[in-house]
Amino acid sequence: MSNRYLKEKGIESLLFASGAVAVVALLLLCLFLFKEGALLFENYPVSDFLTDRRWLPTSTNPQFGLLPLLFGSLIVTVGSILFSVPLGIAAAIYISEIANPRVANFLKPFTELLAGIPSVVYGFFGLVIVVPMIQDTLQLPTGQTALTGSIMLGIMALPTIISISEDAISSVPRSIKEGSLALGSTKWQTIYKVTVPAALSGISAAVMLGIGRAIGETMTVMMVTGNSAIIPGFPSGLFESVRTMTATIALEMGEVPQQSDHFHALFAVGSVLFITTLILNIVASYIKRRYRFSL
Amino acid sequence: MKKHFLRNIAICSIVLLILMSAFAGVGCVDQGEDTEDSGTTEDATGEETVSGEIGITGSTTVLPYSTLAAEEFMIQYPDTVISVKGGGSGVGIAAMIDSTTDIAQASRQIKDSEIEEANNNGVEPLEHAIAWDGIAVVVHPKNTVSELTFDQLRGIFNGSITSWADVGGEDIEITVIGRDSASGTYEYFKEEVLGEEEFTENALSLSDNGLVKEGVVGNERAIGYIGYAYLDENVKAVALDAGNGLVEATPENIKSGDYPLARQLYYYTNGEPTGLTKVYMDFVLSDAGQEIVTESGYFPIK
Amino acid sequence: MSDDFANGTEIAVKGLNLWYGKNHALHDISINIPKNSVTAFIGPSGCGKSTFLRCLNRMNDLIPGCRIEGDVNINGEDIYSKDVDVVDLRKRVGMVFQKPNPFPMSIHDNIAYGPRIHGIKKKEIDGIVEGALKAGALWGEVSDRMGISALDLSGGQQQRLCIARTLAVKPEVILFDEPCSSLDPISTGKIEDLILKLKKDYTIVIVTHNMQQAARISDYTAFFLLGDLIEFGKTGQIFENPREKATEDYITGRFG
Repeated sequence: MSNRYLKEKGIESLLFASGAVAVVALLLLCLFLFKEGALLFENYPVSDFLTDRRWLPTSTNPQFGLLPLLFGSLIVTVGSILFSVPLGIAAAIYISEIANPRVANFLKPFTELLAGIPSVVYGFFGLVIVVPMIQDTLQLPTGQTALTGSIMLGIMALPTIISISEDAISSVPRSIKEGSLALGSTKWQTIYKVTVPAALSGISAAVMLGIGRAIGETMTVMMVTGNSAIIPGFPSGLFESVRTMTATIALEMGEVPQQSDHFHALFAVGSVLFITTLILNIVASYIKRRYRFSL
Repeated sequence: MKKHFLRNIAICSIVLLILMSAFAGVGCVDQGEDTEDSGTTEDATGEETVSGEIGITGSTTVLPYSTLAAEEFMIQYPDTVISVKGGGSGVGIAAMIDSTTDIAQASRQIKDSEIEEANNNGVEPLEHAIAWDGIAVVVHPKNTVSELTFDQLRGIFNGSITSWADVGGEDIEITVIGRDSASGTYEYFKEEVLGEEEFTENALSLSDNGLVKEGVVGNERAIGYIGYAYLDENVKAVALDAGNGLVEATPENIKSGDYPLARQLYYYTNGEPTGLTKVYMDFVLSDAGQEIVTESGYFPIK
Repeated sequence: MSDDFANGTEIAVKGLNLWYGKNHALHDISINIPKNSVTAFIGPSGCGKSTFLRCLNRMNDLIPGCRIEGDVNINGEDIYSKDVDVVDLRKRVGMVFQKPNPFPMSIHDNIAYGPRIHGIKKKEIDGIVEGALKAGALWGEVSDRMGISALDLSGGQQQRLCIARTLAVKPEVILFDEPCSSLDPISTGKIEDLILKLKKDYTIVIVTHNMQQAARISDYTAFFLLGDLIEFGKTGQIFENPREKATEDYITGRFG
């Protein structure tokens, strides 16, 4: 009897330990990130970091301005959302409500395949095909712009948004769709007045995950956005070259001498990235809870 | 009650164990890898076999040369592996400081701050000039501008000149394409052309010479700077006047030093090279190695 | 079958057959359903009573592989003819389902849903909503909290909400598919009272597996068995004096 008890407790502890490892690892990562980032502020004022308008890490008078990088990330992310959310939700509605079952059974796994394509492949495709296309169609000085980054990130976020939104829409119970039809509404009215609003918490989760993916993307944006550290306006900034926080870290990480100010500055940028993602996740949870008029 | 107590102790110790091993891991962050390096060994019959592995990291300008040289070397000595990586001169030098590469390839000289950094880590950088290079300032072949003074060049790259019309071309906005700050080419160009000033913030920051060239190929309004080896018929090199008249980017002008943006290319090692690194360095500075310099589009050091 | 109802015939069905794929589920059903009364469909599980009910507002159209032959005339109009507007039909023939299915919206929006999609102007909506809730015997309980989610109501209240939601589009016929089977006795009683009140203005058809309920509230009763209509007549007659043996066996509980 006691043997069985020990075994049970042993397994419980093991499972607990596994969970604990994940949490502890995350916590330590966090601490390391913030500690190295904070070391920047021994030699460089926080206020300057937050307000300087230029990122010049290797000049004789280095400037570590966060703003161009932060806004670069933001504008590319916002652009990608504007592009992928309507498209993704429309595709999800098509797959779950309108397509006939054989088409749907093909489309859904196919979009999930898209999610598996490595980001560097997307970057390459963006560089070779999309950049010249944007440059020629919009007559811009260069095709390497925030817009290009938004389009590529939008495409990358699509599978996530479609897949999760489709799950949410399919889980809307048949009974309320029938209820709507029984009142004399058309299929379309049912979809946009009842089904989609009912699936809103799942759809919001999908959008949040899409945003999370976009903001953290590195390789692709590095290859297509031109990496100019300017502060973009909106919407004019979409047609200019921008630099994201992620690309900055990737571009400069290799060459920083350990423990230099530049080194710490990159960690500070990494911390901001981490905090941004954290805020996004919190907002996502809040939205999910609020829209739980749900089922 | 006792059972609960025992269980809590067990859980706490497991968590503590995890925390401790994690901290131990964190402490190991700064260890560099040892790179393998054998060099020549004599086997039982008295014949010398050259074997082992070394790594070369850094400048994308020197990269085409290193790749060709390494290939040739590995054909001659089949038991060796020379791996060549880019990333920019800054990356290469940082790798040497961290002892994660045997040779740092660079298109600029090592900075004083980097030398200090290296010494603090017990590394003594030794400079070997291996070739001459010119920085070609390139524009699209359809661009009517073919000549620029240094003042005009500076103006374009620091953002004070924004239209091709201001330098004798058509009234179109100039697109400035450059490198990122890890690049030796970036540093060299900045020092020679801009001096104390900064690049315009609208300049594109691309991660290697190839991308800069492709950028200019695809854009009629673009101007960029690339290593001479990357020059081909798809872009047009601009003649430069640094105060001594217009000089074109040609092999003769570069070798003679008349071209204002002529520079040396370097390999840096940690002290005097030994083992396989020494064999490779000797090869690079030999006639065979210097022939490869010409093959790759640069100019022999001698 | 009676043909001379006091208020006339609302629904006239002749020779209705239904197939789910190869399965012949309803055999040659013919029945006349009287206006402004309550008609109950009774019978053991799987006898086809719910399937037949769903034929009356063409909800079976939503099931792939379902085929229907025969005539269903509502107020003289064949609802299966090619130029019938199904959307309009469902406005005129409303349905309340077995399990309450309020939309995940506020009480007000639930009731307003039907009128809104039919284009009723904004300023009339509130009046219609109030009227429907009153007619559905729910107004008193919710008038001060119209903005709360309908999902926060109790089961019985939700079902009355669904009834009110149907009433808001002003149907002629209301079909009830076992509306009380998931409710407690008190809520059931309230809904039965409501149905009795509604029959004055609407034609009501109710499917129920609860014979006592049929006996309590219906004027006419139809007994179904295995896809056939066995017997149809005044409720009193069916329960006290069934003509068919099968009916009698079912009524007396010999099988269920």
